[in-house]
Amino acid sequence: MKKTCISCGMPMNEISDFPGGDTSKDYCIHCARPDGSMQSFEERKAGMIRFIIKTQGFDDKAAWKLAENNMKRLPAWKKYFE
Amino acid sequence: MSGSKRQLQKERTRKKIIETAYQIYSQQGFAATTAAIAKQSGVSHGTIFVHFPSVNELLAYLIQDFGNTLALELRGLSGCDNVKELLKAYISVLIRHEDFYIRLVSERSLLPEDVQMIYANIQSTVAFHFNKVVEREMVNQTVKKIPVHMVFNTWMGLLHYYLLNKDFFSPETSVLKRYGSDLVEVFWELIRK
Repeated sequence: MKKTCISCGMPMNEISDFPGGDTSKDYCIHCARPDGSMQSFEERKAGMIRFIIKTQGFDDKAAWKLAENNMKRLPAWKKYFE
Repeated sequence: MSGSKRQLQKERTRKKIIETAYQIYSQQGFAATTAAIAKQSGVSHGTIFVHFPSVNELLAYLIQDFGNTLALELRGLSGCDNVKELLKAYISVLIRHEDFYIRLVSERSLLPEDVQMIYANIQSTVAFHFNKVVEREMVNQTVKKIPVHMVFNTWMGLLHYYLLNKDFFSPETSVLKRYGSDLVEVFWELIRK
């Protein structure tokens, strides 16, 4: 069952880490839409930026840069940077 | 030498380079040369670049490896309802990497930008786990209602102040072994309801 989320890199070790408890998914609960499908590139990026600002209080531009840099290392999003 | 023996030898050399680089960067800072790492590892200078084509890749590997260790340990505790337990676990990981972490915090701006981003991602992961536990404590009304980023940044400010001034607080021994429990206790007193 152990996987790493292709969208945010979070380790998924528990059933509760998977959207709707569906362990066949390659993305985590934080990267899923309410209907269980995976968020789009723009949705995920906006979510990451919001989260960085909320948890660390960074400047918008710095949070944007950090989110992009993180995303370009992730399997779900690296093609957007090639 | 057979293929598997050669592979084993290669892995041993890589491990030796990683361990030596970690030690040297911890002791001398990130300006330390690859020639010094090669000399202390007992390998030729060129061998380092067989394993890590550039200094950036070596630095990135070491910092990411440290980040993975930290993330793994914190993750196990982010399900708990207790900020103190999370911070104690965090301190216990940092104690094992204290000198390296001090270099990372104090010399961060000297590192190449992509390597700095790895550091920033590590801090984001810490903030993620911290946020989960603090928000739960706020819902349980055991922690004051303060914006979570300020709670996190206040903790990091306190922690980093002691680490960056280790020479004043604890020149001979680990500053976190000496003051880690005090930092957690005092921080808890400040944020608890």
